[in-house]
Order: sequence, then structure tokens, then C-alpha cells
Amino acid sequence: MIEPNAPPTFQLPEQMSTVSADVDWMYYFIYWTSVVLFVAIVGAMVWWAIKYRERKGHKAEPTGHNLPLEIAWTVAPIFILVFMFHKGFQGYMDMDLAPANAMEIRVNAKQWAWEFVYPNGGSSDELHVPVHQPVKLVMASADVLHSFYVPALRVKRDLVPGMYTSVWFEATHVGHDDIMCAEYCGGRSSGPNGELPYQPSDDPLHPFVAGQATGHWAMHSMLYVETPEDYAKFLKSIGDPCDQYASTGKKCPAEVAAGQGAKLYQSKGCVACHTTTGARLVGPSWKGIWGKTEATDHGPMVVDEQYVRKSILDPNFRVVNGYQAVMPTFLGQISDGEIDEITQYIKSLKE
Amino acid sequence: MQHHFDTPEQQFNASKLGMWVFIATEILMFGGLFCAYAIWRAMEPNIFDQAHHFLNKILGASNTVVLLFSSLTAALAVRSAQVGKRNMTTIYLVTTIVCAGIFLVIKWFEYSHKFHLGLLPGHCFGHPWFSATVQNGQEVGTCLRVHADQTSSMPQWVRAIDESGHEQLLPPRANMFFAIYFCMTGLHALHVIVGMSILVWVLYKNLKGTFSPAYFTPVDLGALYWHLVDLVWIYLFPLLYLVGKPE
Amino acid sequence: MAAVDMPHVGAGHHAADSHGDPDAMYLKASHGIRSWLFTLDHKRIGLMYLTMVALAFLVGGVFALLVRLELFSRGKTIIDGETYNRFFTLHGAVMVFLFIIPSVPAALGNFFLPIMIGAKDVAFPRLNLLSFYIYLCGVAILLTSIIMGSVDTGWTFYTPYSVQTTNSVISMTLGVFVLGFSSILTGVNFLVTVHSMRAPGCTWGRMPLFVWGMYATALIQILATPVLAITLLLLCAERFFGIGVFDPKLGGDPVLFQHFFWFYSHPAVYIMIVPGMAINSELIATFSRRAIFGQFAIAMSSLGLAILGFLVWGHHLFVAGMSEFATMLFSALTFLVAIPSGVKVFNWTATIYKGSILWASPMLYGMAFIFLFTIGGLTGLFLGTLSVDVHLTDTYFVVAHFHYVMMGGTVIAFLGGLLYWWPKMTGKWHDEFKAKIGFWFVFVGFNTVFIPQFIMGSRGMPRRYYDYLPQFEIFHRVSTVGSWILAIGLFTTAYTLLEALWKGKPAPRNPWGSAGYEWMTDTPPCLANFHKQPVFTRGPYDYHLATAEELSTGWDEVGGEPGSKKD
Ligand code: HEA
Ligand code: HEA
Ligand code: HEC
Ligand code: CUA
Ligand SMILES: [Cu+2]
Repeated sequence: MIEPNAPPTFQLPEQMSTVSADVDWMYYFIYWTSVVLFVAIVGAMVWWAIKYRERKGHKAEPTGHNLPLEIAWTVAPIFILVFMFHKGFQGYMDMDLAPANAMEIRVNAKQWAWEFVYPNGGSSDELHVPVHQPVKLVMASADVLHSFYVPALRVKRDLVPGMYTSVWFEATHVGHDDIMCAEYCGGRSSGPNGELPYQPSDDPLHPFVAGQATGHWAMHSMLYVETPEDYAKFLKSIGDPCDQYASTGKKCPAEVAAGQGAKLYQSKGCVACHTTTGARLVGPSWKGIWGKTEATDHGPMVVDEQYVRKSILDPNFRVVNGYQAVMPTFLGQISDGEIDEITQYIKSLKE
Repeated sequence: MQHHFDTPEQQFNASKLGMWVFIATEILMFGGLFCAYAIWRAMEPNIFDQAHHFLNKILGASNTVVLLFSSLTAALAVRSAQVGKRNMTTIYLVTTIVCAGIFLVIKWFEYSHKFHLGLLPGHCFGHPWFSATVQNGQEVGTCLRVHADQTSSMPQWVRAIDESGHEQLLPPRANMFFAIYFCMTGLHALHVIVGMSILVWVLYKNLKGTFSPAYFTPVDLGALYWHLVDLVWIYLFPLLYLVGKPE
Repeated sequence: MAAVDMPHVGAGHHAADSHGDPDAMYLKASHGIRSWLFTLDHKRIGLMYLTMVALAFLVGGVFALLVRLELFSRGKTIIDGETYNRFFTLHGAVMVFLFIIPSVPAALGNFFLPIMIGAKDVAFPRLNLLSFYIYLCGVAILLTSIIMGSVDTGWTFYTPYSVQTTNSVISMTLGVFVLGFSSILTGVNFLVTVHSMRAPGCTWGRMPLFVWGMYATALIQILATPVLAITLLLLCAERFFGIGVFDPKLGGDPVLFQHFFWFYSHPAVYIMIVPGMAINSELIATFSRRAIFGQFAIAMSSLGLAILGFLVWGHHLFVAGMSEFATMLFSALTFLVAIPSGVKVFNWTATIYKGSILWASPMLYGMAFIFLFTIGGLTGLFLGTLSVDVHLTDTYFVVAHFHYVMMGGTVIAFLGGLLYWWPKMTGKWHDEFKAKIGFWFVFVGFNTVFIPQFIMGSRGMPRRYYDYLPQFEIFHRVSTVGSWILAIGLFTTAYTLLEALWKGKPAPRNPWGSAGYEWMTDTPPCLANFHKQPVFTRGPYDYHLATAEELSTGWDEVGGEPGSKKD
């Protein structure tokens, strides 16, 4: 039928998956059917309304009956509609049933960040996939409804808390596209009290400035379709460098762990609320908090290993004065090793 | 007769049709709950079976009898209004209203027993009388989620003796059964109260002597509404109290 | 042969009752503020509703303009993200629950349904007044929620977000619950009125299509609204007691809420459009001077829509996690709905053929309705097609679709109906020239707002976005400019109608020369609608059977005849 990989048309974005061509064909089929019907109906209406306009000497003809005509326009559409339904359902089933050889990637969504967990255990906040390889995303949401949407892939699927949903695709060429959240999931003003100026960025890969944008619209990420070699490189880069020490029984050096912690800071979404520069966002900045005594709603607390650990797993056990209890719990989404690494990272921000 | 009608029959028919249509809307409203019941039951047949032993079949059956009897007296009230026996109408109406009262009293005993055991919907499951959760000797908020800070406790395991005398351990998930139980019977109880109020108003009119064999529409419509209340219970009783797990 | 008694024939058969002289013009039959607050006259109740829904439209429209203004450029234009979320929620909720659902039935329906079947009033005038006050309560509760900090869930209140966010969700849902009650009562009233109050000769076959439409709408209101009621009650219970019905942590199911919500809200879209179609049938017939082609088919298709509308709610959940079987079923049923809608569109167009078309302002709206509704309906087919909906769902394509049917359909018909019946309701003639200017601004502006939204939607712009990617900016700009053109048009139209009240010259009995029953009585009607029990001997569109006296516009007596050059 139509060549895959068609560039964007006026109405539809670029095609990047095996199902795109079929979806687009269907789209344009309905489009042209509609154009024909619309022009016929509205054309006739306007033409007759002018031709038979009220004027001297012209009288309306009493309305007659025309049963065959009435039956015709009741029955004829049925054929078109059955065809649309049939093709649409076929296309949907193609999108629904993942091939057996699909590679699985886990997707965790929460207000307002994506996390992608790869077969090697590494994770990132952007999705990298190899080209020509069916990929099945198994998705879960930690809080409210979200929806995974990549226009160029023509896929979209809701993430429902308490339930796993899945979606699959096979990218047809190397490239990138936006990942967006398509199910409304709330939003908040920038800064704890909405005092931060909100300014989008011009960087096409990061159109919303992290930390400023907290809401449904800013749950943005990128999909990178890569050659198998690039993908392999990527997988290596996200693997945990501390893992190699674990196998030898040695302790992971603080700098290495802190480096990994910095990555987790991005990929786990802490970046949405915490800066490392001292600037205040929804949550306190991590800069220089290590060892400091924080005033909380339950009195002063020293920021140490145990406190950081509790703050991540049960954030509301103590709430720092001047902030709201809005930090989500990461219980079950973060391993002990990772907590360690983040702790090392916070330590490293002591100055 | 109101001025915009042409004949009394037209007025009577219009009122009756109106009441029927309104009853249809009520049934649809309960219909939503019945759907929810069906879905959950299909999802959790074991929990439903386990939990339904906590409903007292004797009390439920007594309430069924009370309501059925009150429906009969309501119908008799219409009959006597139709033939113009005002005193009989009064007696039947009073009986109906008293039955409604008995129903509510029995319901109250059932409810308070469940409150006592902590068989409550949602977060309050396992918190007798909506009691607060205590952690490390400190109160950390009630199970009712009305706090601005959204703190709330989770449902707890409940160990209690059911109505047939067996000790049972209900998992937190069993809150679902009690959620639907309280929603359905609560909404029904609300209807009992509304129905009672309507009947009291009809009784008042009857005592004032408003009705005659030519005009008794309110008695008729009040009884119609009361039959609806009865009908809903006729479905609630077996679905909640009697139906166990299909083998 | 006079089909009905002409206004000047025979008067004063009723004894004057407590609400005034039945033969006096309804606005003059009684006086004072109490005569409005406690009125049982369906016409006055209709006018009070009209005032309220017009205000609601204004409020909803102002929110819309603010939403559009914010989207004019990337980043923050006027408001921050949190406020934006509240504004589009309020825009949607006000437009749907306060404006469009009560608009045609409660305002125009209340006024005209009894007159068009030759009745003196609706079956339950007290209930009618009660339903108006319940509506006011609903409005008050909704306003409270706005003042209390407002709701940011979207008009769909999806769980679990709606269970987590601000506490005024409760007042908002309660408000909608109360409004639902008002809607049910109106439905019950109309249904019974149509069944038991028709005048002699007003058979089911002769019943005006507007009344058929109201009847079908009443059916949907009665059958669907109770389910919304229970859904909202459960939502409140969920928030208050955490009963867990929709909460996955307690074993509930958030998608269940969506099923409940759309089980009401899909039929509700037919509560919105069927009255619009009903008005349109009147407009097309009157201004083509000709019976509606396939009148029976149009009446039946209203019922068809009412019934089929109950079977397709699942098409809002295609990507929400339903079984394949359910998606298939809902998609197939969705396509069925196109057939009764198509029957109407084809019949209206066929009516124009060989008619005698008067290009008056209501007819412009009538034709615009066909134009815009066809676009809105056909784009519904993209959404009903499973594979295509996966791409389009929750994008601006959907936003454009439903504005084309709701604003382009119902609101356009409502405006057309207002202009058409304004002389009947007020006795005053508006300035046709201004009305037409207003129309063209509305028409051009509306398309400028929403055509770019189709394009950006199909290109992948999700809805409910405070901020967007750079490639969508140009479309948002055009759309926002369009909203200003549209606003100019609507304000002009509102001005035209209001101006008629104090400047308009008196309208004659039948200014458009219609054969419809409602034009056979005084303009404005007397309190009892007709001076004598009318007896209908022809259908409301039988121009060939109507007498010259019935069809005479009366402009000769009043002098001047705007709009028409008839001899
Ligand atoms: C007045 C209100 C109204 C009306 C009348 C309609 C009419 C229709 N709607 Fe629409 N719809 C909404 C209001 C309305 N809708 C709203 C408010 C939403 C979004 C809510 C939200 O999420 O916030 C929505 C969303 C919506 C969706 C979900 C989209 C999504 O979120 O993914 C779908 C999917 O199937 C849909 C389909 C249809 C169809 C098939 C019709 C049909 O009834 C249209 C039938 C008409 C025609 C087809 C045109 C005329 C016919 C012909 C000319 C005959 C010949 C035709 C052929 C042979 C093809 N609508
Ligand atoms: C009846 C329904 C209705 C109507 C008429 C409108 C009218 C308009 N709508 Fe809206 N809209 C919705 C129902 C409606 N909308 C719904 C349900 C949503 C979804 C909300 C959600 O996602 O939760 C939505 C969402 C929505 C969005 C998407 C927001 C987002 O997803 O982020 C946008 C954006 O452009 C928009 C714009 C507009 C505009 C510009 C108008 C304009 O047409 C408005 C023009 C009106 C005026 C300018 C007021 C002038 C009025 C008068 C002067 C009174 C005169 C009175 C008489 C003549 C009687 N609407
Ligand atoms: C939605 C916003 C949000 C996200 C995402 C978030 N936090 Fe927080 N965090 C907060 C807020 C608000 C506070 C202050 C209130 C409190 O103590 O609960 C806080 C407090 C903390 C503290 C205590 C700081 C102090 O000064 O005492 C630590 C440590 C912390 N967060 C770690 C993390 C880590 C690690 C992550 C990611 C894995 C993370 N947070 C993600 C909002 C967030
Ligand atoms: Cu996540 Cu919208
Ligand atoms: Cu729908």
C-alpha cells in the first residue's frame, strides 16, 4: 500500500512505526470520504438556497414523498460505516497484540515524570529503543492516570494505578520524537507558592525547564530510535557502575556512587522538585543540606543517612518547615543500593 | 382540579404517569449500584462469600417481612381512600409509617453492630467506630479522609465472630463488600425516610379530609412510591444477605 | 378553514384565576417581583431560565477567552499552570452543566413546548418552578466551589486525581448532582406533558418536530441522569469516607468511574444535540416555506439517537484499558449513531430543494448548523474508528470535534432559535441587519478558532495543556485570534437582542410567515396561550393547507417588512 516512513503531511506527523502507514491510510480514507460528503451536502444546500430564494413569483413546491431516496440514504452509509469499522478494528488489533519476540521495557509514571527500566536493570528518564525491533512497554502508574503518547509512532495507552497496561511498537527508522502524557494528571504552579516565573526553553529536546514545570503538560520526554550499536552503548552507560564492585565484594567508591546518584537524581525525577544549586523549588535544594539541622514539623532533625532514607521512603514522616507535604513516596521504586548512591550524591553537594 | 387541565381524569393520568417515570429514574439510580455490586462480586467471589456471613439473616428477614407487610397496608390505604373510608385510610397509613419506623430501628441495630466490629467501608475497615489510628503512641489521623493534609490510615485485618458463630479473619480487601453494603442499604434507608415523610404528609392531608373517592391521587402516588422502596429491598436482601459463593 | 382559532376570534372564556387573567398578555397578566418569583406560568419560567443560561454562557465564554488568551504564546501569557487547569475545568463544567444542557429544553422548550401542542401549561407547573429553583441551588453550589478555591480535574472528574486534589471537588460534584435533579424534573414534566396535554387534533403524527425533539431529550434525561447521580454520590462517598470504590489501593477500580461517567455523559451529548436538531427542523421548514422532507423519519431518528446514544459510551475509553471485545462492540455501535444523524442532515437539505428560501438571520443559523454539525459529526467518525482514535484521542482533534457539535451545533441552533422566537417571546422586532452582521462574525470566528485545532490535534497536540511544543504555536495563535472574532459576533448578537427590547418596534403576530402552531396565537401569547381551546386540523408545516390569514405576516398592518420582499 503506502511506503512506511513517509515524512509528515499537513495533517499528520512523521511516520516512525510499522503501524503508522495503516493508521494514516485509514485517516485519509475517512478524510476524503468526509470531504466528498461535506461538499455534496453543503454544496447542494447553498446552491439550492440561492436558486430557490424567496422572490416575486416564486412559490415553494409542497413537499412530496420519495421512499426509495429515503431508504437509499439510510442504507448506503451503512456500507461505508461497516468498512470503516472493520478496517479500524483490524488496525487496532495489530496495535494491541505484541509479537512474541518483543523486547520488554518497564515504564513507571508518576506526577510528573517518566522512568524507563531496561532489561539490564538500568533506567533512564528518556526512552531509547533499537530500530526494527518490536518493543513492548509494560506500564504502571504510581499515583493518577497518565497516558503514554508518541505521535510519530501513532500509539497511545493509559497508565492506570493498580493495574499494568501495555503497548507495543516497532520503530522503522532511526530518529527521535516527543513522548507526551495524554491523560490529564493535574499540575501545580512553579515553586512552592507559585512565585517562580515560568518560561519554556527553546531546546527542542527539553522544551520544559526541569523543576519549573510541574504538571500534565510538562510530562515530556524523548524517544530515541537508535541503531543496535548505539543502543548497546546506551545500555552500557545506564548500567550501574557500582554493580561491578558488588561482584568483587569491595565497597563502591564514594565518587562513583555519587556519580551514579547524580544520574538517579535525574532519572528518578527528584530533579522536578529539588535543585542542587541552592535555589528553592517545590522541595528544598540539596545543596549543603548534608549534616545540617532542619526545622521540621516534629522538631529539629539532622540530615544523615537515616533521615535521607526515611525522606525517600516515607517523605511525610517529617515535613521541613516552609514546605508542603507533597513529595511522593518512592517505596518499592528504588533499591537500597540506589538510596545509598543518592545519599552519597547529597553528601557530595556539601561544598 | 388545577386550572391548566381540562378534566380530572387528565390530571390523574398525568400525575400517575409522572410518578411512574420518576420511579423509573429511581430504579436506574439503584441500577448503577447493582452494576457495581455485580462487577465486584465477579471479581472477588470468595471475599463476598466470607463477608456476607457477617450479615444477620434473621434481622434481614424480619425487615423483609416488615416491609412486605407495610406494602400491603399501603395498598389497603389506597383501597379505602378509593371507597371513601377515611378512618380506615388513617389506620392503614399509620401502620405503614410505624412499619417503616421498625425497619429503621432494626437497621440501626445492624449498623451499630458492624460499626462495633469495625466492618466499615474503605479506609475505616478495621477501625471500630471510625477510631483513630495510633502509631508509636501518637494519633496519626482518623480513617475519615476529611483532613486537609490527606493523612489517613489503611484498612486493617479484622478478626471477629460472624453471625453463624464462626471466628473469621477478613483481609483488608473485604472493605469492598462493606462499601457496597453500606452504599446500597444506606441509599435505601434514605429512601425509607423520604417515603415515610411522604406518607406522613399524605396522612396529614387525610386527617384534614382532603380526599374523596373522586380525588385521592396523593394516597395513590405515595403508596406507589412506597412499593418502590419495598421492591428495592426485595432485591437487596437476597443479594447481600443470602447469596453465597456459587459452587 | 381556520386550523386554529385566530387570536382576534373569541376571547375571554376562562374565569380569571389567582395568577392573572388568562386572556391577558403573559407579561402583563400580573405584576411585581412576586409575580415572577412564584409564577407557575411556563413562559415566565422559560424566560427566567433563559436569563440564567445566557449568563452561564457569558461566564463560560469568558473562561474560554482566558484559556485561549493564555495559549496565545508559549510559556506564561497571563496565568500560571494551576490557574489554567482550573479555568478550563470551569469553562467545561459551566458550559456543559449550567449552559448547554438546560439551554434549549429548559429555556426555549419550557416556553414553546406547551404552546406548540396547544396546552395551557406543562403538566406540573409547580414542579417546573421547583426545577428552576433547584437549578439555582446547583448554580449556587457550583459558585461556592469556585470561590472556595475551585476545581482542577477537568469536567470529567476522573478518579483517582479527583479524589486527591482540592476539597472543593465535593461541592462541585454536589452542584452537578443537584443540577441533574433539575434536569430529571424537567424531563419528567415534558414527557408527561407531551403524553397527556396535547390539544385535540395534535396527533403524534402532527406533533411539531421541536416537540418530538424535546420528547426524545426528556427520555434521555430521565434514563441517563440517575446514573450520573449515583456516580457523583459514590465520588463524594469516596472523598469523605474513602470507601474505595474507585481506589485501586483498596481494591476498587478507577476505570469503573469512567464507565459510570460516560454512561451518563455520552447520552448527555445527545441531550445537547437533539434539541439543537429540533430547533433546526423548525427553522428549515419555516424559512423554506415547506413541510420538512421525511418528517416521520426525522421524528423517528430523534428517538433512534436517544436509544442508540445509550449503547456507545465505551468509545471514550478506547485506550483506557477495556477488553478487545468491548472496544470492538463500542466502536461498531458508535458507527450506527451516524445513521439517524445522517438521515436528519439529508432531510434538511432535501427540504431546501424547491422551497422558497428566506435568507433571514435565523435561516443563516439554520444553514450554518448543517454546515458545522456535518463537520463535527464526520470528525466523530475518525474518533469512532479504533486505530485512528488511538492516535487522536485526548488531542485537540477531540476538542475541535466536540466544539463543532456543541458550539457549532447546539449553540448555533440555540442562537437561531432565539432570533426566530424573540419576537414571539418579547413582542419586539430586532434589527435584522445587525443580527446578520453578528452571524457572519460568529460563523467566521468559530471556524477560525477550531479548524486550526483539528490540524494541531492530528499532528499530536494533546489537550488540557497549559504549555506546548514550539511547532504548535502558530495554530494556537490563529485559534486565539479567531476567539476574538467569535466574541465580537456573540456580543453583537446579544446586543441586537437586548436592543430590540427597548428600541424594537412591535412585532406582528407572525413576522416570519410561518405555518407553525405557535404563531397562530397572539404575539406575545396570552397567559393561557390560546384564548380558546385550539383544535388543530392540519400539520404544523402544511403550508399548502394553511389559510392566507394564518400565513399573513401582519407586516402590512404594522408597516414595513424587514427581511422579506414577499408580495
Ligand atoms: C453535542 C455533542 C456531541 C455529538 C452530537 C457528538 C457526536 C458524535 N461523536 Fe462525539 N464527543 C462529544 C460531543 C458530541 N459528540 C464530546 C463532548 C466529546 C469529548 C468529551 C471529553 O472527552 O471531554 C466527544 C468525544 C467523542 C469520542 C471520543 C474521543 C476520544 O476521547 O477519544 C468519539 C469516539 O468515537 C466520538 C464520536 C462521535 C460520533 C461518531 C458522533 C456521531 O453522533 C456523529 C454523527 C453525525 C455524522 C456522521 C454527520 C452527518 C451524517 C451524514 C452526513 C451521513 C453520512 C455519513 C457517512 C456515511 C459517513 N465523540
Ligand atoms: C457547550 C459547550 C462549550 C462551548 C459553547 C464552548 C465554547 C468555547 N470553547 Fe470550550 N470546552 C468545552 C465546552 C464548550 N466550549 C468543554 C466541555 C471542554 C473540555 C474541558 C475539559 O477538558 O475538561 C472545552 C475545552 C476547551 C478548550 C481546550 C482546553 C484544553 O484542553 O486545554 C478550548 C481551547 O481553546 C476551548 C475554547 C472554547 C472557545 C474559544 C469557545 C467559544 O466558542 C466561546 C465563545 C463565547 C463567548 C465569547 C461568550 C459570549 C457570550 C455572550 C456575550 C452571551 C450572549 C448570550 C446570548 C447571545 C444568548 N474550550
Ligand atoms: C513532587 C516533588 C518532589 C519530588 C519528585 C521529590 N521530592 Fe524530595 N521533597 C519534596 C518536598 C516538598 C520536600 C520538603 C517537605 C518534606 O520534608 O517532606 C522534600 C524533602 C526531601 C528531603 C529532605 C530534605 C531536607 O532538606 O530535609 C530529601 C532527602 C528528599 N526530599 C529526597 C528526594 C529524593 C531522593 C527524590 C527522588 C528520588 C525526591 N526527593 C523527589 C518534594 C519532592
Ligand atoms: Cu501525566 Cu498527564
Ligand atoms: Cu460519546
